[in-house]
Amino acid sequence: MTALNNIRHHPKALTLAAFAAGNLDEARSIVIATHLTLCDSCRLAVRDFEALGGACLDATDPAEMNDSALESFWARAGKQERNALAPSTLAANDFALDAAHPLAAYLKNGIDAIEWRPFAPGLAQHIIPAKGYRPGVLRLLKIAPGVRIPMHTHGDEELTLILRGAYTDEVGDFAAGDLADLDREVLHAPLATGGEPCICLIATNAPLRFRSLVGRIIQPFIGL
Amino acid sequence: MLGGMAVAMTAPTSAEVSGVATSGVAAADRMNALLARVAADGDREAFTILFLHFAPRIKSYLMKIGAATDLADDLAQEAMLKVWRKAKLFDASKASAATWIFTIARNLRIDAARRAAKPPLDRNEPGIVPAGEPAPDARIERAARDVRIRAAFGALPPAQHEVVQLHFVDDLAHSEIAERLALPLGTVKSRLRLAFEKIRKDLGDSVE
Repeated sequence: MTALNNIRHHPKALTLAAFAAGNLDEARSIVIATHLTLCDSCRLAVRDFEALGGACLDATDPAEMNDSALESFWARAGKQERNALAPSTLAANDFALDAAHPLAAYLKNGIDAIEWRPFAPGLAQHIIPAKGYRPGVLRLLKIAPGVRIPMHTHGDEELTLILRGAYTDEVGDFAAGDLADLDREVLHAPLATGGEPCICLIATNAPLRFRSLVGRIIQPFIGL
Repeated sequence: MLGGMAVAMTAPTSAEVSGVATSGVAAADRMNALLARVAADGDREAFTILFLHFAPRIKSYLMKIGAATDLADDLAQEAMLKVWRKAKLFDASKASAATWIFTIARNLRIDAARRAAKPPLDRNEPGIVPAGEPAPDARIERAARDVRIRAAFGALPPAQHEVVQLHFVDDLAHSEIAERLALPLGTVKSRLRLAFEKIRKDLGDSVE
């Protein structure tokens, strides 16, 4: 994907900082990494936080290395040919070497090949195993045009990245590239707008909390 | 190489930049210059100085997530091995040495934690490191900006400095910082927000 210029909704600074610190769970890391492929300004913000991480690392009290550490380092380094690297025009610290899309390995055949599992009229989902070492849940949600998700809030924090289509809710209008960074304060009922299904990538680290009976009936099927 | 330029372009951005922070900036510039020497011709003497500075800090960083001392030693060497092998690709105009080495150590820590948590994953699993090229206008003075971020970090009030350090080095989530410092979660989040706003202000960025 290429950068989009009309992104209106971005992750919170605290979320980008946690991403740069390596502190987010795997599911939310993937959502943020995907947004970064689309959003120049957030990518730059993450670089600033990585610079802050560098300053923090520098300010850390050093641990004592083992006596033979340097010697054993050079022994290891000697075995590896320093010049064996493939020639590249990119600087290693340009952060552009791993240009593979964050979702590519999970959706090998792209969004069109997803096997959707319908769970309510106009709603289907696809769960992506991305447990990582910190628990979280990653899923793709497809909302048919004109369909509204029942009013709900979130147990803790939820990141929703719009990949295709658009929706509107109490927070605003969301389209491809926009990211909703929501916490338990936000109560919303997204309505898919436009002529095509809205496809969202969602990471949650706690169950959704539906406010209506319909939502509570749907919940076990969504598994959220 | 370009390290000297970074310092020439960097003036303390506020009266609050302390002498300690300024000397920290000078030390950072020295590290950039050393890494540039390693990049240029594989200077082992320069690399040894980098190793003696960064390896013990990376070890400390890894021990904070519970790595035993020998494992942390080994992983710190592994991180420095990546620095050594990729040094030719280091461009001092793109990021400071500490920034680059931080991202290498962070990714290594994430990988190590994954390996400890479960069996190895698919090799093709996407990295969580952001990819892509910043917009050209935004790349200007990137390394100089790193140096100013460092100075701004050094000038943070102690309470803000502490939560930033716990988040980035001790790998504590907001709720874990709250627990560690016996503070309400909201206080931790607002301290972090204030710290980030102050850094942006020191950088001369607009704070919305």
